Amino acid sequence: MGSLFRSEEMTLCQLFLQSEAAYACVSELGELGLVQFRDLNPDVNAFQRKFVNEVRRCDEMERKLRYLEKEIRRDGIPMLEIPGECPEAPQPREMIDLEATFEKLENELREVNQNAEALKRNYLELTELKHILRKTQVFFDEHEGGANTTESMTRALISDDPNRHMGHVQLGFVAGVILRERIPAFERMLWRACRGNVFLRQAEIDTPLEDPSSSDQVYKSVFIIFFQGDQLKTRVKKICEGFRATLYPCPESPADRREMAMGVMTRIEDLNTVLGQTQDHRHRVLVAAAKNIKNWFVKVRKIKAIYHTLNLFNLDVTQKCLIAECWVPALDMETIQLALRRGTERSGSSVPPILNRMETIEDPPTYNRTNKFTSAFQHLIYAYGVATYREVNPAPYTVITFPFLFAVMFGDLGHGAIMAAFGFWMCYKEKPLQAKKIDSEIWNIFFGGRYIILLMGLFSMYTGLIYNDIFSKSLNIFGSSWRNNYDGSTLQSNQLLQLNPDSKDYLQYPYPFGIDPVWQLAEANKIIFMNGYKMKISIIIGVFHMLFGVCLSLWNHLYFKRRISIYVEFIPQILFLSLLFFYMVLLMFIKWTTYGATPGHFGSQDPEIVKTSAFCAPSILITFINMMLFKHDKNTRPQCDDFMFSGQMFIQKLFVIVALLCVPIMLFGKPYFIMREQKQRARQGHQPVEGNAENGTAGGAPVPASGHHDEEITEVFIHQAIHTIEFVLGSVSHTASYLRLWALSLAHAQLAEVAWNMLLRKGLMSNDYQGGIFLYVVFAGWAAISVSILVLMEGLSAFLHTLRLHWVEFQSKFYGGEGYLFQPFSFEIILDSAGQAEE
Amino acid sequence: MKGCIFNIDAGYLEGLCRGFKCGILKQSDYLNLVQCETLEDLKLHLQGTDYGTFLANEPSPLSVSTIDDKLREKLVIEFQHLRNHSVEPLSTFLDFITYSYMIDNIILLITGTLHQRPISELIPKCHPLGSFEQMEAIHVAATPAELYNAVLVDTPLAPFFVDCISEQDLDEMNIEIIRNTLYKAYWEAFYDFCKQIGGTTADVMCEILAFEADRRAIIITINSFGTELSKDDRAKLYPRCGKLNPDGLAALARADDYEQVKAVAEYYAEYSALFEGAGNNVGDKTLEDKFFEHEVSLNVHAFLQQFHFGVFYSYLKLKEQECRNIVWISECVAQKHRAKIDNYIPIF
Repeated sequence: MGSLFRSEEMTLCQLFLQSEAAYACVSELGELGLVQFRDLNPDVNAFQRKFVNEVRRCDEMERKLRYLEKEIRRDGIPMLEIPGECPEAPQPREMIDLEATFEKLENELREVNQNAEALKRNYLELTELKHILRKTQVFFDEHEGGANTTESMTRALISDDPNRHMGHVQLGFVAGVILRERIPAFERMLWRACRGNVFLRQAEIDTPLEDPSSSDQVYKSVFIIFFQGDQLKTRVKKICEGFRATLYPCPESPADRREMAMGVMTRIEDLNTVLGQTQDHRHRVLVAAAKNIKNWFVKVRKIKAIYHTLNLFNLDVTQKCLIAECWVPALDMETIQLALRRGTERSGSSVPPILNRMETIEDPPTYNRTNKFTSAFQHLIYAYGVATYREVNPAPYTVITFPFLFAVMFGDLGHGAIMAAFGFWMCYKEKPLQAKKIDSEIWNIFFGGRYIILLMGLFSMYTGLIYNDIFSKSLNIFGSSWRNNYDGSTLQSNQLLQLNPDSKDYLQYPYPFGIDPVWQLAEANKIIFMNGYKMKISIIIGVFHMLFGVCLSLWNHLYFKRRISIYVEFIPQILFLSLLFFYMVLLMFIKWTTYGATPGHFGSQDPEIVKTSAFCAPSILITFINMMLFKHDKNTRPQCDDFMFSGQMFIQKLFVIVALLCVPIMLFGKPYFIMREQKQRARQGHQPVEGNAENGTAGGAPVPASGHHDEEITEVFIHQAIHTIEFVLGSVSHTASYLRLWALSLAHAQLAEVAWNMLLRKGLMSNDYQGGIFLYVVFAGWAAISVSILVLMEGLSAFLHTLRLHWVEFQSKFYGGEGYLFQPFSFEIILDSAGQAEE
Repeated sequence: MKGCIFNIDAGYLEGLCRGFKCGILKQSDYLNLVQCETLEDLKLHLQGTDYGTFLANEPSPLSVSTIDDKLREKLVIEFQHLRNHSVEPLSTFLDFITYSYMIDNIILLITGTLHQRPISELIPKCHPLGSFEQMEAIHVAATPAELYNAVLVDTPLAPFFVDCISEQDLDEMNIEIIRNTLYKAYWEAFYDFCKQIGGTTADVMCEILAFEADRRAIIITINSFGTELSKDDRAKLYPRCGKLNPDGLAALARADDYEQVKAVAEYYAEYSALFEGAGNNVGDKTLEDKFFEHEVSLNVHAFLQQFHFGVFYSYLKLKEQECRNIVWISECVAQKHRAKIDNYIPIF
């Protein structure tokens, strides 16, 4: 049996590996990705395991690679993707080579960086000095200019000096550069600490300078401080130091300054050439590294993953071999054996590894093989709960029912086509889109569900055709079966007119596919007609869906050999559901086939014909309620029958009684059988009996000790009561719940109609050329609303409702969902997740 | 009523903080940590906790100081994140928390300059939470008055410093007095601020701050024995917002030796218990450790209530304790001195 219907059969295996061959074997298994290893030393600390040193070396290598990558990114050098196949995990001895390569690269790079930083620092200092010389020139010019503010202030400062002419010459000064944002605090502090006895001038450097340690662009300012006396000098210098201002010597005489500026300029020139060479060297190193870096990352990560796995293994007493326990799919034993043999050959070991099957009472993990088409659907199921081991997997049925139920709610040919086109585009461009690795979470959700979207779109187009609904309008493909025979004046003078099916208005044969487009014109009763149709359809689909769910539970019972459950759970459940709700569905069909407005009935006064006319058709809802209450209403119309068919009353009473009788069977049946069995077993003295599979496991569960009987029985009773109540109440509420199919479909149709009437119709009403311009604008609005609200939002809401119908209404009938997922050791998964974490 | 509108401004941050709190190491983690043979082992184990890859980019021979720096860096980043997203009055509350680090930094820098250390050597030792713009120029000042006028007047610490201006010059003794006066003013202001916020915040924070104040008073008293600090001066340094105020503080002011301090603590149930188990013998826990333990339990209790600011304070303090623990364990591991490795203070 294909594993699509059930999860794969798993076996627990014990694996004996030669110490020398273990690495190669695990590497082969990692490429295969079919084996889940179990941790055999869970209480050993991470750092006390055997291969912790190797793991640590890999960590170290990864750190170096990350450093390299950071540097490569900083220089904007493109990193080459790995061409073709992923590199295999290298041999352990290759690890030393790799380590050496990385070590060398890192050291080289660090050295280059250090040199570059020193050079840049030098360069920065020189540039700052250049700016200082240039800006201070202005200060000094002003200073010497004579009768300006500077002059007057210096005079005020030294007013007690008798020799006024020499005054300003004795002023000391320091010049430096400071971060621009620190200027206000710096100025305030200077003022406070020196009691206002200093004079600060500052000018901004327009071009940003590069900070050598972080290579950020920073803005700085040049300042010059004038003061008098040595004490103030030390104080000013201390403050400058505190604010990390760099001070530069600045000669007093203009000639010296000019000379110095010249010297600085030449040194900057020299430095520039050296800096360029350093950068070139760095670039060469990085370009060489960028070619291989992805490849190295993959290698290192593979080695690390292998050693992590080896850490899960047990060492046997002789230290000669490693013992592993693993879950493997039973069907893949051959492939795994082959991989192990390959691994042994590669390592050159002579002793083949041994793969032993083990008996276990543990629940194996759930593993469903998927392809790119089914995996999205399988994930929808897993999102609710991972299937119990080997239970029926609803995913294959979901592939069809999910898009179908969605389409019932989203039935519109136009919107469906948009959705299908989007889905088709994603499927068609699958490979290039996948290779792009787009980060956006929303995009990834859409892209992951591309096949679901495509199917949902296609199914919506189909239901849209059935509803005859395209952007809230109808298509008249085959020609309507109705004709208008009223003359012009009648049409002019009447608001509402009826078409009589029992006249020439109706061509006597129905519209071949879907709803007749004539209903588009029926403003008064279109909604009423569609509601009746869609509601009944919803209930019919719902009841079939649920019945199918209950039937799937039979497969589960048969597979797990739960004989009693078939008799006291499955049979009563299916009886209950079909006698009440499937009967209601039958009534709908009877009503559709028996009653009609076809000619020969309508105008006729023949009592037999009147009884089968639409005039006499009973309400299904009222009939069903009466059935449950055991009463029957006299038909208010004297010419009609009370019943739809003869013996209806008797059959209905019988059905209800049988259905109600099923409830106590569901409630007490299973606990009773379990109790009886336990008593028997107690009498026979704890001999295992044939039917102990009630516990749910197919394997032989241990016989419970007799001391726990009472508690267990009450537990079984409570459990069963909950299940019964859930089923009985559930079948009512779940049936009603399927009405959401109708409700959402109605809402969608109405919204689409509002969008059409409020927007596009307004744009189409005008006749002259302005109408064209207006239409141009209005169409944009209508299209935007159609896509954003009607396709995206409505689509999302319909999707969620469909999900609910599957999780709750369908799966509650058979799905346990108590398993855990099979997580194989696979390089592919490990590399993917490592790559994602990095981004 | 306050609880209802608490979440508008601080709900997100409280949630964030509680999330951070869940990352605090458990007893089982410590049990694993103390088994480490080398610092590499320690790093490997910390990778499995909430610290994640915080040491992943450090080159291999790890030193304890790198671990310390990285631990602190992580904590500071978290705290700054909370601070940057906060609004009044929470932002003031968080600022208040940083003031104590500022005080520590100032004292560190003054002491450093007193011992003729270059400022560039001292700056890396300062706690990043307590750094402020004028900090590095602190060595300009030679007297407390200058310190106030030139440096501190623009910082939020200015109001706390007013009491210290009268001190004559900066020597060892005076620095210690300045520190304690600053702390006294700080605790009292913080206490008043929490009272003013009211509600659960006041309930929780006043409890913690009262303990801090009392601890300081007791430690000042014990440390003052055998120094030239007069009893009057000593009494001036006691923060007056604790449970010891006023009778206990008066009694402490009169105390002459350790036994008398113990006798004073006898009157207060929670403190007498701390003195009970403390001793200086090998294997005994010191009084300081006892205080730390009590602080941890108070801070853990802060998380039992919701809709208050105490969680932010408590989180920071618990995390600091955790950093101290990890550093302690790493020191023991690095120095191969395993006898005292169990002297950390478990948090959960």
